[in-house]
Order: sequence, then C-alpha cells, then structure tokens
Amino acid sequence: MATSTYLSNPVVTVNAVDLSDQCSGATVNQTFAQLSNTAFGDTAMKYTAGLQENSVTLDLYWSTASSETYATLKALVGTSTNVTIKGTSAAVSATNPLGTLTGGFLAELPVVYTVGELATCSVTFNGGTFAYTEA
Amino acid sequence: MALRIISARLGEPGAFWTPVEGVNVEALIAGGFLEDTHTAPGKSAKNKTKAPDAANTTQE
Repeated sequence: MATSTYLSNPVVTVNAVDLSDQCSGATVNQTFAQLSNTAFGDTAMKYTAGLQENSVTLDLYWSTASSETYATLKALVGTSTNVTIKGTSAAVSATNPLGTLTGGFLAELPVVYTVGELATCSVTFNGGTFAYTEA
Repeated sequence: MALRIISARLGEPGAFWTPVEGVNVEALIAGGFLEDTHTAPGKSAKNKTKAPDAANTTQE
C-alpha cells in the first residue's frame, strides 16, 4: 500500500509568508455542501454540489520576533488572505500538489500561554475557494 | 506602487515583489515583510538645516 508520510518537509505559507518552521500541524478541509436533487421516481437519495465551505487550520508556535508568527498574523485578523500548503519543498507536481485556499477569512487569533511550554496559536482560515495545482 | 522585499520569509530581500491576487499587501507592510519604495525614505534623504542667511537676519 502506497502512503504519503510527511515528517518535516511540508511547506506552509500564510499571506505569501513562509511559516513552515513555525508550523507543527495543518488540517485542510475541502468541502462542498451537498444539495439534494432527489426527485419522484428515484429509488435512492441523490445530491449535487452546492457552495464550497473550505477551511485550513494551522497549529503554529507563537513567536513575536520580527518576521515571525505575530508579525505575519497581527494585521490579518478580520481580513481574508491566501494560505498554501504542499507536502514537500520539492517543485509542485502531480505527486507534490500545491493546495491553495484563496480568500480564507481569519476571524480570531487565539494564543495559548502555558507554563513550561512554548506558546502556541491555532488559527483557522474559513471560507474562500480551495484548489490543488499540480504544475 | 513598487514593493521591495525585506524579509527572507517572503522572498529574496532587496528584490521587488509582485503582488499576488488575494494577498493582503497592507498586512505584509505592517508586519515588516515589505516596504513601499515610493513612501520609504531614501538613503540620501537627509534633514538639511539651512544656515541662517546673514543678509536676512536682524540684530536687536
């Protein structure tokens, strides 16, 4: 069985800024609303695609140094931007597709401070269009 | 608006940056990743204090 294992190579950008070395996890949800178009005569439910409802969640270390997490995100709260992710730093290809969320809205910037641990923030960009490109 | 890269997280520092659709340029400038070369002070810009013109000074 062929699987894709990503240990440390994924590349993540937020608003075109490379935050890969501050990111410890990413979740991409590409979702379409399923609209029923089941009609008389059908013997099973049928659906068609409605609006996309996409999101990308990033688990980031919270750094307030220049050009780091805080500098990247501070002016994005309450606005929309682009988020990209690909599995490895290699060139974009069919086996290393680039996922792009265009126009994702950042509603909040929750920061977690815990004694004895690195501060973190988990940010979710909601909405916008999502697509994979292979070239 | 000409935008120059400051941070390596965005690209090669010193190179000009081409805006990408959907990217929040104001946030990049606010975060110190880019500078607008049309509004940033140039290296040669100096505050020149004009020496008093002896012909126009009045002595009391």
